Amino acid sequence: MVKKYEDLLAVDNISFNVQEGEIFGLLGPNGAGKTTTLEIIETLRKPTSGKVTVDGLDVSDHSWDVKSKIGVQLQSAGFYPDLTLIELLKMFAALYQVEVDDPVKILAKFNLEEKKKSYWQKLSGGQKQRFSLATTLIHNPKIVFLDEPTTGLDPQARVHLWDEIRKIHKEGRTIVLTTHYMQEAEELCNRVAIMDQGKIIKTGSPKDLIDELIASGFRKEQEVKQADMEDVFLNLTGRHLREE
Amino acid sequence: MKNRTGSPSQIKPFFSIAFYSLRAMLRNRATVFFGFAFPLIFISVFGLFGGNGVSLTVGIPDSLQKGSMYEALSGSKAIKVEGGSEVELQKKLVQGRIAGVLKLEETASSIQLSISQADPQQAAAVTSLISGVVNKLNLKLANITNPPISLDIREVSGRDFKFIDFFLPGIIGFALLATAVPNTAFGLIFLKKTLVLKRIFATPTKGSTILVGQAASRLIIVLAQALVILGVGVVAFNFNLVHGFFTVTDILILSVIGLFSFLGFGLFVAGLSNEENTVAPIAQLIILPQFLVAGTFFPVDALPAWIQPAVNTLPLAFFNTAIRKITVEGLSFDHLLPQLLGLAVWSIIAYAAASRTFKWE
Repeated sequence: MVKKYEDLLAVDNISFNVQEGEIFGLLGPNGAGKTTTLEIIETLRKPTSGKVTVDGLDVSDHSWDVKSKIGVQLQSAGFYPDLTLIELLKMFAALYQVEVDDPVKILAKFNLEEKKKSYWQKLSGGQKQRFSLATTLIHNPKIVFLDEPTTGLDPQARVHLWDEIRKIHKEGRTIVLTTHYMQEAEELCNRVAIMDQGKIIKTGSPKDLIDELIASGFRKEQEVKQADMEDVFLNLTGRHLREE
Repeated sequence: MKNRTGSPSQIKPFFSIAFYSLRAMLRNRATVFFGFAFPLIFISVFGLFGGNGVSLTVGIPDSLQKGSMYEALSGSKAIKVEGGSEVELQKKLVQGRIAGVLKLEETASSIQLSISQADPQQAAAVTSLISGVVNKLNLKLANITNPPISLDIREVSGRDFKFIDFFLPGIIGFALLATAVPNTAFGLIFLKKTLVLKRIFATPTKGSTILVGQAASRLIIVLAQALVILGVGVVAFNFNLVHGFFTVTDILILSVIGLFSFLGFGLFVAGLSNEENTVAPIAQLIILPQFLVAGTFFPVDALPAWIQPAVNTLPLAFFNTAIRKITVEGLSFDHLLPQLLGLAVWSIIAYAAASRTFKWE
């Protein structure tokens, strides 16, 4: 797959497969082409050349079917600021053309029951991400795309969102996510592809990639600690969710 | 041939977008203020001005403004005499701007009254008024001071025409323009900028469904605006509905036509930039001059003659002329053809321009 913007080669001839049922991570620094890649698969952008297949369907020929099949969480997606969470869920159910018996139940699943009458604009960052995930799953998609789901969240909210992602994975969904947090990739992903400057430079499971690096003679200069600052922080401030 | 799949039914997404956009808009203070409070403030302020009724206007060519008949008429409170050349007056009569044209012969033995069939009510009023004056003069000329039948002649006044009757239709036009252009443009830019549209595009919803849904929500707003303005006008300021309920439905139908014509400008402006600050001056440029000159506060006739033809071709002027034909003159839609045609031409221009500027991102 290739994506060119005027004079910028955003995605440079990449090719990868995601297996059914796995959590696949697209890793890379900002501007590596992760979001563009994801948005092409999500039918939001057209590739300059190449072929993308989702669940056996060609994305450019069957974009409507693909849209109905996949769940999409965009990086910093917006929702009508003047609608309540219940109203937004009902709206998205109608857009995906599914019946939702009880939107409150869906909110409860994402710890947002108390916020059902709140406007989207009044939510905290973590609440917004969780609500966004709720709209992503409203039509019970088999395949879920999450674009930097934990960027901008505090450690508590991040750990909590990881639990949510594990939960939706256990429900039998395939998950593709992008991140530039390597700890996140190690925690969640079965396999990752590392992107830089539009190219995929490495694919494999986090464990294999680490083993390969160590086998090549690489050693961290620091001594291995039994805990890191994240552990210190979470130990001191607790793991329960904070909402500003 | 590739086997492409078509889009799923868009009925549910359409209603969803229309309904929830409407809901969001009604919670937005700017929409409520500019769409409802602002027009009502205008109505209230100007409604309190000048309740002095304007009487029937009868044209008498300048050269014929003399004699006893002329004096009798110009002394009457119910009649306002307008001068000008015969041709001009005839034209105004055809346009329904004056109630009748009177030609007085030198000898005062023959008087010709031309009336327009455009407005039967006004024609009847002016006929009875003039014949009353003629009868009075006849008696006097025949030296009958004590006629066998005492004819108690009373002045028949024309339709009670107040300033609000002129002003209110213009405010409906203004509210319509404000909803169609700045509200639509800023609304769409906001949805683009905050990635609301992008999120909707990830669902099986077509772009055209989003636009038609947005338009439908504004349609409801515009109908509500017209009804609220009319309601307050009738209840608080005794606004005159010539044909009652039918006048209301005519206004609503015209408002729908006006909205679809003006929406093109909203889409055009929304496509110019993704920054509200960049498009604000352009939106103002489209609505403010029209608001000021195209017949909202004063008739286009009051402007210098050389500028009138240009002003009369503005979209809001077409709308204002059309709505006043309904509310002031009590005319039906077949008399609005020139204005509807004007609006149609403007909407073609606007949608063509919008299709060149509009972008989804």
